[in-house]
Amino acid sequence: MVREDWASSSGGTSDSEVCVQDADEEQHYFNSGDIPKLQFRNNISVACWDDKMGMAEVLEMEGGMWITTGIVCDSKIYCSVEETLFLAERGELHLLDAHDSSVMLKDIYRKVAQGKSGCCWESFEAYKHLKSLGYIVGRHGIPWTMKSAKNKSAFLEGMAQIKETDGNIEKPNQVTELFGNMRITHVKPIFDVYPPNSKFRKSSPGNPSFILCLARDHPPSKAEIEDLERQCNGIPLKFCHVEHGRVSFVSFNRMELPVLP
Amino acid sequence: MGPRWKGKGSEARALADPMSKIVSELKSSLIQSDSRGLLSGCYVLLGVEPEQTELLNRACFGRPIVTAQKDKQWFQLSIEEAFYLCYNLRCLKIVGEDEHVKNDEELWKYMTSKKETFPDLFKAYSYFRTQNWVVRSGSQYGVDFVAYRHHPALVHSEYAVLVLSEGDGNVNGRLRVWSDFQCTLRLCGSVAKTLLAVYINKHGVGAASPSCLESYSIEERLITRWSAEQSRDERTVTEIGTN
Repeated sequence: MVREDWASSSGGTSDSEVCVQDADEEQHYFNSGDIPKLQFRNNISVACWDDKMGMAEVLEMEGGMWITTGIVCDSKIYCSVEETLFLAERGELHLLDAHDSSVMLKDIYRKVAQGKSGCCWESFEAYKHLKSLGYIVGRHGIPWTMKSAKNKSAFLEGMAQIKETDGNIEKPNQVTELFGNMRITHVKPIFDVYPPNSKFRKSSPGNPSFILCLARDHPPSKAEIEDLERQCNGIPLKFCHVEHGRVSFVSFNRMELPVLP
Repeated sequence: MGPRWKGKGSEARALADPMSKIVSELKSSLIQSDSRGLLSGCYVLLGVEPEQTELLNRACFGRPIVTAQKDKQWFQLSIEEAFYLCYNLRCLKIVGEDEHVKNDEELWKYMTSKKETFPDLFKAYSYFRTQNWVVRSGSQYGVDFVAYRHHPALVHSEYAVLVLSEGDGNVNGRLRVWSDFQCTLRLCGSVAKTLLAVYINKHGVGAASPSCLESYSIEERLITRWSAEQSRDERTVTEIGTN
């Protein structure tokens, strides 16, 4: 057996660097004419914002995106602030207020800034990133379909709870039956993410591919990760960090080092 | 990312010559010659015969020191490598500058006084070695260790290992801020290694003596970046392929 060649050295750890092309060069715009503009569509959906719910009730549906957008409650479709803003930015949704006046983009941005509808700016950036790539994204903890009126009032109560507690992470746990063990911690699950699927059914969505958690200030500790894994019952977790328009996703999957011969 | 073997035949050679067997041969040889290493700072210097030179190289312990001395080959062992040979394999005695052989307790106290993180690092090191992985310093990649499935001449290292401490806060202060994640992940990616975080939990036992090691537990987590674009593109290709 030829041993000389590799027995003669104890092996330096100088693995040659594999040059990875810098695929994520930042986009720099010099002239204002360089910034792309989305075109307004001809057939625009219409929705009406419900302040109490912190959601928009869809009045006119146009386009195929409604298969994977909005929740069904009592035969009506409601969309969250992130779904509303995403469509509004793309010119696919016209939002009205309770008095039938148009709600401008700046006012929808303000709703996100106010943090009363359960979605902060960073969450919205993560939502937009995934939606733009075709993923199906739902607010974690909120079912895609709800049937009875009784559930609806409990749901509305739950939504009001979310509004109250979202901005303030110091408040003690305020949960309704519907939302079970949703805990207010520094790292929280924000979205259930499904792969692109033209046959998606809100009535039976199945399990998400993964649950996305947002860790804003600093990365999750091992204890926080374990806590979330327990909550999420075996569905894979991913953690996102949003900074300067860049959304990074990180997984912390457990593994056991194999024993070698 | 699976093992990247270097060249044709490397995987077969590795299978034919398991690391456990090489280490076992090294152990026997060192015991037979009553080998003694000299403690010097954070290293142990060991002078060996030609047969042992080969075994040390094949098992990947230490770095050869180039000298003019013909009848002996000198090796520089890291503090972890030396303690593993001494404490776990019981095949090496270590002497101080006073030429007295140090016992386990004395060595432990000495090593923990030199490196506060020694207990955690050693626990991780011995864990990998016991499972027959080859472990080397990861300092050139800004991590604690790099782990190979066999000799580095046959295979590229798969894992860049960071040892993190649980309970008493991160001893080495790594991965506490997102910028450290971004930095470490990017570096690991560019050298084709997967970042492996090894969490050591001392369960409040402390680090007064080597027997504490038995009470420490280990948990490994792979830290990987996920690309939404790549994932979707791969998926589309798969779907097209299966139609």
